[in-house]
Amino acid sequence: MARFLPLKVTDVRRETRDAVVVTLAPRDEDRALFDFTQGQYLTFRRDFDGEELRRSYSICAGVDDGCLQVGIKRVDGGAFSTWANENLAPGDEIEAMPPMGKFSLPLDPDAARHYVGFAAGSGITPVLSIVKTVLRREPRSRFTLVYANRQISSIMFREELEDLKNLYLGRFSVLHVLESEAQEIDLFTGRIDADKMTQLFQRWIDPTSVDAAFICGPEPMMLTVAQSLRDHGLRDDQIRFELFASSQPGRAKARPVSKATEAGEGTQATVTLDGATRSFTMPREGQTILDAAIASNMDAPYSCKAGVCSTCRCKVLEGEVEMAVNHALEDYEVRAGYVLSCQSYPLTDRVVVTYDE
Amino acid sequence: MSDTMNIEDYLAQGGVLTAPGNVPARYRGELMRLMSSFVDSELAASAGFASSINFAPGIRERIAASRITLEKADHAERVLAVMGDFGTDTGRYQTQHDWAARVDRDTDLGATRREGDMRLSVFHYPINGWTDAVVMNVLQGLATGVQMQELTRISYAPLAEVFREIAPREARHAELGLKGLTRIVESDAGRAQAQTSIAYWRPRVAAGFGVANSARYQTQARLGIRRTPNETLLARWEQLTNEHLAALGL
Repeated sequence: MARFLPLKVTDVRRETRDAVVVTLAPRDEDRALFDFTQGQYLTFRRDFDGEELRRSYSICAGVDDGCLQVGIKRVDGGAFSTWANENLAPGDEIEAMPPMGKFSLPLDPDAARHYVGFAAGSGITPVLSIVKTVLRREPRSRFTLVYANRQISSIMFREELEDLKNLYLGRFSVLHVLESEAQEIDLFTGRIDADKMTQLFQRWIDPTSVDAAFICGPEPMMLTVAQSLRDHGLRDDQIRFELFASSQPGRAKARPVSKATEAGEGTQATVTLDGATRSFTMPREGQTILDAAIASNMDAPYSCKAGVCSTCRCKVLEGEVEMAVNHALEDYEVRAGYVLSCQSYPLTDRVVVTYDE
Repeated sequence: MSDTMNIEDYLAQGGVLTAPGNVPARYRGELMRLMSSFVDSELAASAGFASSINFAPGIRERIAASRITLEKADHAERVLAVMGDFGTDTGRYQTQHDWAARVDRDTDLGATRREGDMRLSVFHYPINGWTDAVVMNVLQGLATGVQMQELTRISYAPLAEVFREIAPREARHAELGLKGLTRIVESDAGRAQAQTSIAYWRPRVAAGFGVANSARYQTQARLGIRRTPNETLLARWEQLTNEHLAALGL
């Protein structure tokens, strides 16, 4: 089960107008837990007006940098990223889970590989961690980074990347693609699309030399780059992805105040699955929401039926249910209205649940 | 590149998801169901093979059966770890069922899963001897090979990676089975026994591919969890099985 541990903020550096790089230190006793692999991320949690928000940010430090660092870019309307950009200061404490994620390949000190990375905007953070780590740990490997940004002033880690180029002369190159700033070479102006990818492979990167590719950015960029890599002969197992989803769930909506338990024979249940909603009457006792949904010919997901796996998770939108057992959902999920439907019995005469949220 | 995209459109176009945090609710449900079916099937297969070790006629066969027993449990553990990222209590999960439990040999379950765990129905049937174990392993091993082509392309990247690690070892299990079957059919008695077992296991393995025109498949395909319909996978397995059995004169 996920465990949050305190991290001390030791430094906050303004990287661009709307992004900060935060350096963090675990407690001595947690140090080993925060050892990380290049490309991993940290999940933070914080209370905003009594609602818990969780956000994941990629570690931008290399594994040999000896510190824990994340880059946080402010998202319009994003409670967490705005708070981190405006309020976070050295000395603060913030809770995070140990590093997670598998956006990496095993390192091999003897390897002489050619890696390519495609990053858009703050998608640079995990890629930077990978760049720093492989250049140091694989002295014969090289890395080509294609880095897309809106304009020069929004490029995160611009100086650090220049320093890396000088430090690893001939082994690291960066191609900046800027959306709204003209550059000497047309190829590097605009957005990364299929045509640009093809030109890149024709003129700058020999696709047959590429051993592995890392892509990190929003959905359309991931699709475009991945498809082009495949079209140029890369296999699926040579492509590593880290999606920076554009549609992270916003602030958790408070659950409607539950009505008092009402006595009565049956419960009127309304269940939504795959956009289809069905209403039926179910007994107040002895049948779970899941079993009632299945009995109404709904193909609701489930597996263990013992409150352990969480396959059957759904969200209560109205009314109240009681879980007999819960070994899988965390308190914050329960507070947000999630229940294990295989363990949930109705308490009110009307219950509305959805498997789609 | 800061434009956004609906996650369903992204998946429909072959997009890949990379963390529990960017997985939509319905995707989560279908992914979890698929993973638990795999974990339960591997644990049940491992438990079934554990007792087959003692049917082994020689040391080499004993080692092969032990290896299959060990590695299937290992594969279950790797996929269960991915479920753990989504909140599954992995410690409790693995003790949730009696993975060695079997129905009577002549029960007909069809394609329906039994109440309790999500293993494929074929793993509810008991193995009754060495030849039977080898035949079951060959037929189900070839089926797993066909399914693996599908699973290694699943749109949840951390799981696809696990399946890509597992796939060659699962393929090796099927090869071990074919090697064992080659030895069995060297004698007429062995060949006759093998034929009896093939008749028993073949329809039961076939049932594991699910029904044609499955609604579940449609849902999974929309999410990039599946790409090839049940009936196409089944036909691939039929063809592969026919080729291998014909090569052995079966």
